[in-house]
Amino acid sequence: MEIRTTLFNEIAEKEIQNPYARAFLKVLPVAIAVRRKAVMDSFPDPNAAQACGQAIRAEVVARLPELLEEFEKNALARGAKVLWARDAGEANEMVLSIAKERNVTYVTKGKSMVTEEIGLNDALAESGIEPFETDLGEFIAQQLKRPPFHIVGPAINVPVEEVCDLFMEKAGMEKTTTDPVKLGYAARLFLRDKFHHVSLGVTGVNMAVAETGTIINLENEGNIRFNKSSPGTQVSIMSLEKVVPTMEDAMHLTRLLSRNCTGQKISAYVSMDSGPKKPGEIDGPEELFIIIVDNGRSEIYGDSVAREALRCIRCGGCLNICPVYAKIGGYPYGWAYSGPMGQVLTPLLLGLDRTQDLYRACTLCGACRDVCPAGVDHPLMFLYYRSKDVEEDRGLRGKKRPWKESRFFGLWSRAVTHSVLWNLGVRLVRPLVNRYSHNGVITTMGGFFKGWFRTRNLPPIANKTFHERWSGLRRKATGRQSGENR
Amino acid sequence: MKKASLFIPCIVDLFLPEIGEATVQVLRRLGVDPLYHKAQTCCGQPAMNAGYRDQAKKAAKHLIDVFGDDDVIVSPSGSCVYMVKHHYPQLLRDEPAWLWRAEELSERIYELSQYIVDILGIEEVGASFKGTVTYHESCHILRGLGVSDQPKRLIQKADGVKFLPLPLADMCCGFGGEFAEAYDYISEEMVKEKVGCYLESGADLLVLCEPGCLLNISGYLSRNHPEKKALHIANFLAGTGGGG
Repeated sequence: MEIRTTLFNEIAEKEIQNPYARAFLKVLPVAIAVRRKAVMDSFPDPNAAQACGQAIRAEVVARLPELLEEFEKNALARGAKVLWARDAGEANEMVLSIAKERNVTYVTKGKSMVTEEIGLNDALAESGIEPFETDLGEFIAQQLKRPPFHIVGPAINVPVEEVCDLFMEKAGMEKTTTDPVKLGYAARLFLRDKFHHVSLGVTGVNMAVAETGTIINLENEGNIRFNKSSPGTQVSIMSLEKVVPTMEDAMHLTRLLSRNCTGQKISAYVSMDSGPKKPGEIDGPEELFIIIVDNGRSEIYGDSVAREALRCIRCGGCLNICPVYAKIGGYPYGWAYSGPMGQVLTPLLLGLDRTQDLYRACTLCGACRDVCPAGVDHPLMFLYYRSKDVEEDRGLRGKKRPWKESRFFGLWSRAVTHSVLWNLGVRLVRPLVNRYSHNGVITTMGGFFKGWFRTRNLPPIANKTFHERWSGLRRKATGRQSGENR
Repeated sequence: MKKASLFIPCIVDLFLPEIGEATVQVLRRLGVDPLYHKAQTCCGQPAMNAGYRDQAKKAAKHLIDVFGDDDVIVSPSGSCVYMVKHHYPQLLRDEPAWLWRAEELSERIYELSQYIVDILGIEEVGASFKGTVTYHESCHILRGLGVSDQPKRLIQKADGVKFLPLPLADMCCGFGGEFAEAYDYISEEMVKEKVGCYLESGADLLVLCEPGCLLNISGYLSRNHPEKKALHIANFLAGTGGGG
């Protein structure tokens, strides 16, 4: 998919004016928070449950290489074929060659963020193989040719009227309607036909269990299960951090994922595949390919701070609570991943140089960190990226900062360690700032700090700073004390 | 007499010194003698947030040197306290000689309301206000320091106060330092929503503990709703105005 991360401000300034998306985004965090709290409270100890999930993901990151090998061994033993893709190109090539060998003309797809990351749909289409997204939201986004608005609800911002027009045009719907049930039914009819004749289904993976070689998918529509049970060939694609040590770990993460994602105790469908259909079994694919995608992650793994990004389980909890996401929606993040998790992951996968706004457009409020069941410390990651950017780090592809900024912090750091210089600086700057003050308030500084003054005033710098007032304050105290003594 | 060393953040020093004065007043009223090291400057947060880690480190070491011997350090800013408590040990993790000093310092530094309620054990500080009051939960105070009940108790114990809840009280006000300047169009929507919640609460006054949020919120109020005020908790408790 097209990378538009450098257009963050351009897209965000447009999206922030989108009344429909804004109205929806105003409701989303509140509604989700209520549901989330209700289901989190169904744990005997919600905090302990979150902490347990965080510990599991910490273990995954710590033991990633060996867990992947264990998973491969056990998946192979169960009859799955495991393929390792170094990058997006290799992963797409693998799917294409599997498809071509079987002479398929189209594939059906379950919702999968990693296939967005590698741009699988475009690669398939270019080779004349038509991909059909079968998740309702993903289907809408695909037909509208839009990037995902939310990692969990990719078309959650699209008005029903627009969906109606789209389905009339592209899904063979015969009568206009804005009834969501009828719209869903139209998509279902259209997609059932695709499932009926499909010979290759593509899915993502929520968890890959190392001890059993099992892949697990969570969903609410049943389409992923269709993708796994209808075709003869199933290709499931996972980024390498999706592995978890044990089935018990996977079950706990299933509980947490459902709760933090959609505010459910468990999603409507949880399907597990341990290898393809075995003799005597009534359904499942004849052959199962599992493609494990690296795409830069093993390089990230070499960085002890950056690797923490690999904890993420894609629940979307951070999107649902982020105050910035709630203003601009998912499009400005410019790629497959949006909101805080995207701000953490995308800069590592694409480089710091073309994702600067992702790790800077954040107030560091920490709401995402507080809600994360995987233990990602998003603000800490952003601070790390900012510092690597300033240092022009080669590995992470830091970009040079504007010279004015570097110069400022150079001078600043000299003053900050010498209070005499610092206070001299204050005395020098004060008249420059305060000449804009009228009636005790600054409303503009003639071009400086335009962003601040766009919507806010500023008090002038005090005629006497606290530093300058202290002697007087101290005298007052001594005076009072001596008065008391008398 | 108990002593407490004042850590006055640069925003307070420059723009809102009345918060510092009120802090002095309240502490004295509670029988604490505040002292102030004139060598103090800034905690380094602006540099760290911008990615200038080496420069932030210099600020950190300076602050550790200035406050190193004090038993108790109190600041009318949770964000700067959070910087010292949480980020100094990370910044200095590769310098053992500094790391232990940073860790040790982090045990002795408190945000003002936290100090009054948790350390002094006082909730009734002799404040009074005739009217309804609501409270904004600043991010670094709530999620950084885990301080939320303390300021609300201090407000509720003030004479004549009726406390009203603030809708979405824990939602960020959109300050974020450099964020407010660089992403002004997002920051504007955030502060607008925060102020909308304040108006919706019906309270006569918004109290908060964070100078950064105060600069943002009262800057917006001053421009768009000049009849409404926001006040730092130190000024609220001291019974003095100011705070932007």
